[in-house]
Amino acid sequence: MNTQSPGPDFEHAFHRSAERHERVWIFCVVTMLLLLTAGTMFYAVYDYGVVTKGAAFHADPTAPARETAFQDGRVIQTGPNAYSVYMVGHLWMWSPSPIHVKQGAAITFYVTSTDVLHGFEVQGTTINLTAVPGIVGTVSYNFSHPGTYHIICNEFCGIEHQAMIGRIIVDPATRS
Amino acid sequence: MLAFLIAGFTALMIGASIGPLQALNYGGINAYPALHPVLKSYYQGLTIHGVLNGYVFTFFITSGLLVYLPARELGLHPNLLLWRSGFVLMAAGALMLLWSMFDNSSSVLWTFYPPLQASAVFYLGMTLLSIGSIVPLPILLEMRATWKHRRRGELTPLVTYMSLVTMLMWGLASIGAVAELLLQLDPWALGFTSTVDPIIGRTLFWLTGHPIVYFWLMPAYVSWYGLLSRQAGGKLVSDPMARLTFVLLFVFSLPVGSHHQFDDPGFSPIWRGILVALTMSVALPSLITAFTIGLSLEFAGRVRGGKGWFGWFRALPWSNPGVAGQVLAAITFIFGGATGVVQGSWQLDNIVHNTIFIPGHFHVTVGSVTAMTFMAVSFWMVPHLTGRSLISRRLALASVWLWFAGMSIFALGMHWAGLFGVPRRAWISALPPSEYHTLYGMAHVPLALVAIGGVVLWLATFCFYVVFFGTILFGSRGTYREPIPFARAFGGRESYAIDLPLTDETTPVGIVAHPALSPLARTLEHVGLITLGTAVVTAAAYIPILWPFVHHLTHAPGWIVW
Repeated sequence: MNTQSPGPDFEHAFHRSAERHERVWIFCVVTMLLLLTAGTMFYAVYDYGVVTKGAAFHADPTAPARETAFQDGRVIQTGPNAYSVYMVGHLWMWSPSPIHVKQGAAITFYVTSTDVLHGFEVQGTTINLTAVPGIVGTVSYNFSHPGTYHIICNEFCGIEHQAMIGRIIVDPATRS
Repeated sequence: MLAFLIAGFTALMIGASIGPLQALNYGGINAYPALHPVLKSYYQGLTIHGVLNGYVFTFFITSGLLVYLPARELGLHPNLLLWRSGFVLMAAGALMLLWSMFDNSSSVLWTFYPPLQASAVFYLGMTLLSIGSIVPLPILLEMRATWKHRRRGELTPLVTYMSLVTMLMWGLASIGAVAELLLQLDPWALGFTSTVDPIIGRTLFWLTGHPIVYFWLMPAYVSWYGLLSRQAGGKLVSDPMARLTFVLLFVFSLPVGSHHQFDDPGFSPIWRGILVALTMSVALPSLITAFTIGLSLEFAGRVRGGKGWFGWFRALPWSNPGVAGQVLAAITFIFGGATGVVQGSWQLDNIVHNTIFIPGHFHVTVGSVTAMTFMAVSFWMVPHLTGRSLISRRLALASVWLWFAGMSIFALGMHWAGLFGVPRRAWISALPPSEYHTLYGMAHVPLALVAIGGVVLWLATFCFYVVFFGTILFGSRGTYREPIPFARAFGGRESYAIDLPLTDETTPVGIVAHPALSPLARTLEHVGLITLGTAVVTAAAYIPILWPFVHHLTHAPGWIVW
């Protein structure tokens, strides 16, 4: 270690330079954060599909699951290449599961829970939606690759939480 | 103060010893069947780990630190009656929580989302603990008023200012959780109401649950800004910047809690967008901190003779465990901050939400910044309070380095595995091996890192507690007590320090204000107005989010399913 301690001149010079750099740093940081915010906003708007939305509220948490769409457990065609899936999370399974959907189709999931909170996460995708009792949430997605996808519950829901796994099988689009 | 320190670190000891079991769980090793008489499940252990480390440990240390340091800085006696009653409230709360968690009646994890229903003892204990943690606020307000009365026209000294802003922030923030507990959960658990609204509970929880991370972080910042530069042998480069950082953290931390609910249904996407912008703003004060603390350390290193681009970094007093712990904590926070920005980014959050990316993030923030800084503080504070010297400086150094290494490996594994969609808080080692392999086989390497990191952390914990309790019980007594290493601010114009030598404990010490010359610091002196402004902004942010929930109540019955 240097025995000769730097004097007040060093301290003064260091302080002057510190103040100058401080301004530059804050300017850079603010610019960076503005760009990041603008960037993430742009993606949210541009790729609006995966934004979680609320579809309906119910006073009785078991009410939505009694509706026909949820009870049928079928993939419902709503357009030329658009489908709806009504998914209920309950202790400790997803229903309906497994389901088959088509590669490249626009799938809208309607998700609710009849008991506690569950997390509707489809592994390997951006689908991530909290299943809240009494609220039907919705999220849209387009599976571009065929294969088996797992629905993983990612909100703690009791002792068998880790085993609450569902399956979505994406069938390859047939060439016509 | 010693009582707060001991209570806090005892909670951490219990909590941290359970941690590695959870890390092993992610590595596919299920240790729980062997522990059945003590812990019934992974989820019970995880509840204890989260509640003790996240709440009990941090609340005790912070409630001690943020009264003790300002009192010494101002040279005033705190209101001991209040301070002690805060301790008693928190201790009673902590005991109730321990009781209800260890009998497995309340394995609802530290977020206790309804309609999972814990026992009434759990919710009441949580209520007492929360209320007890706000007690430092009136103590600080009273001390500051006394000081201002005696020294008219002067600025509040820095450490007191930072502590006060932290407590004001917490005072406002805790309204959410206290309201959730008092209005929803306590009456529900006691049987006065039969149902609860889950989404309102969740929203109120995050009203507190987000600012709580700043209640973890800001006390560590108090030590970094208020003490570290002196411990390292230098000065604080900018006092007004420290004040600005605290005020920005205060203002931006409160309205943004619902960014934890990006993936919840039921409120408008426009609000989600506003939350993104506000959340990004929280990064500003932390980046200012990176600059100011980095530069203060550079100055210390250069004063100590460090040369060149990195020489100053090597020249820091690495043999002092109190400094090494804090510098290492600051380094981990670079990663913690970066991953925080990822989570705040809405679209990116869809990929990582509720995967183990999230606990990865908060282990390199609260689990390293806060825990390591508090450990480092205890290395000078225990000798300062007891007059005993550390029993082993080497073991103390080993504990912070092992903690740093363990946490880095662990968090790297967690973040990485999170990208494969491995969910947080899941007892995945209890799955049949084939199922585990199908679901998480591709994340094998990162999950192994999680387990290894957990084991290293257990070693670090062990080293730390040997030093901590060893010093309190067996450290050799000396006559000289180290004074508190209050930092002095830098430069001519913006310095508030009195350049008096710190002789002994009776001298009022600390950063005492010169007649204010910095307009910024003078503006920031109006903490009342800042609090009012933040309260208004927070209300403005929450009313539109809560509005649809309040108009569409759900009556959900409770579930006990663990």
